Amino acid sequence: MSQSTAEIDDLIARTALRDRAAFRDLYQRTSAKLFGVTLRILKDRSEAEEALQEVYVKVWQRADRYAAGAYSPISWLVAIARNHSLDVLRARKPVADDIDDATLEIADGSPDPEAAAIGRSERGRIDDCLAGLEDDKAEAVRGAYLDGFSYEELATRFSVPLNTMRTWLRRSLIKLRECLTQ
Amino acid sequence: MSTEGDRSGGGEDDRVLVAEFALGLLRPGEHEQVARRIGAEPALRRELGIWQSHLSTLDDQFLESPAPAGVYERVAARLFPTPPRAAWWNSLLLWRGLAAAGLAVAVIAVGIDLVPRPAVTGPELVAALEAQGSDVKLIAFYDAKAGTVRLATVSGAAVPGKDFELWAIKGKNAPVSMGVIAVDTKNNVSMPETMKNGIDPGTVLAVTLEQKGGSPTGAPQGPIVAAGAATAI
Repeated sequence: MSQSTAEIDDLIARTALRDRAAFRDLYQRTSAKLFGVTLRILKDRSEAEEALQEVYVKVWQRADRYAAGAYSPISWLVAIARNHSLDVLRARKPVADDIDDATLEIADGSPDPEAAAIGRSERGRIDDCLAGLEDDKAEAVRGAYLDGFSYEELATRFSVPLNTMRTWLRRSLIKLRECLTQ
Repeated sequence: MSTEGDRSGGGEDDRVLVAEFALGLLRPGEHEQVARRIGAEPALRRELGIWQSHLSTLDDQFLESPAPAGVYERVAARLFPTPPRAAWWNSLLLWRGLAAAGLAVAVIAVGIDLVPRPAVTGPELVAALEAQGSDVKLIAFYDAKAGTVRLATVSGAAVPGKDFELWAIKGKNAPVSMGVIAVDTKNNVSMPETMKNGIDPGTVLAVTLEQKGGSPTGAPQGPIVAAGAATAI
């Protein structure tokens, strides 16, 4: 664990103990990264700014659920920022179903330690596996993760019909999944 | 829906569904449905963990972008609301802060020529009026002999449709209005009837932003934009 990772780990632990000064430090150390996430996905400064505010409210509220060591602390924070931004994107579309927040938090939770260990020991593996896909398919996976593109947006960007994009990407995900745990 | 939670990470369809969930590709409604299933089925949770750990190694590609100013303050205001305050003129914190500011101001007051240098007879007091989050800053000079408070604006501008009102607060008494003041010129305010005894060291002078013509109730209603305690010079 690098020094700065250990420091952020420690700041999250202290935040969980309701240490406001630590929370402020945590904000100062990580807000540029998380604003980078909300901005990239929402592509609108004022929406990204509002999202950033919500993200840190969640960070304060959920810091006690951060399992140190199971996940890189930055990845834990990025996951909260990314999931919140995706929620905002989804909220722009009509929602048919309501659900309590607790269920959705699964998406932000730390993966179980076993799965996390796989991820840590094979850092960079996803790059290798993405390299095994055709370029535009790897690009589509990255676009979904990093830019929050929907199937519709990906279909438009790659100039293919929606159903084609769906089939493409699902096949790619199966290949990717096989590669990741080989 | 599966009842045995730990089959094998689900069939291929489930695996793809979890991958789509992790990437955020599912539509509203469907996303929540899958979230519920993941909550209920350990095999799917494990599958999600695998995707999350691998995908998170892409997080380096989110480039930093300095957060806009003021976000932390808004977060803190949401998370740590200050308890409902008693009237601000009873705030101990305000008083403590003001005592220190008052001491520093005498020098400035002399510097900007608010204090007449020729022989003075009565007691004279000075106060620096300012408040956190406000750019209205004034310096007040009290001449006991003349029974006036003279004000000079250090910074701040008039607010369209509003007036600034000056108040004097002695001890725990309610604020007494000294009338509407202008911030763009010097003011020479006479002591009101109710303040005929003048002000003493420690009396707080405060400026609030009120509706045009000043507070109609005789008590401050608007926000405090500047305040300071009088100090002897």
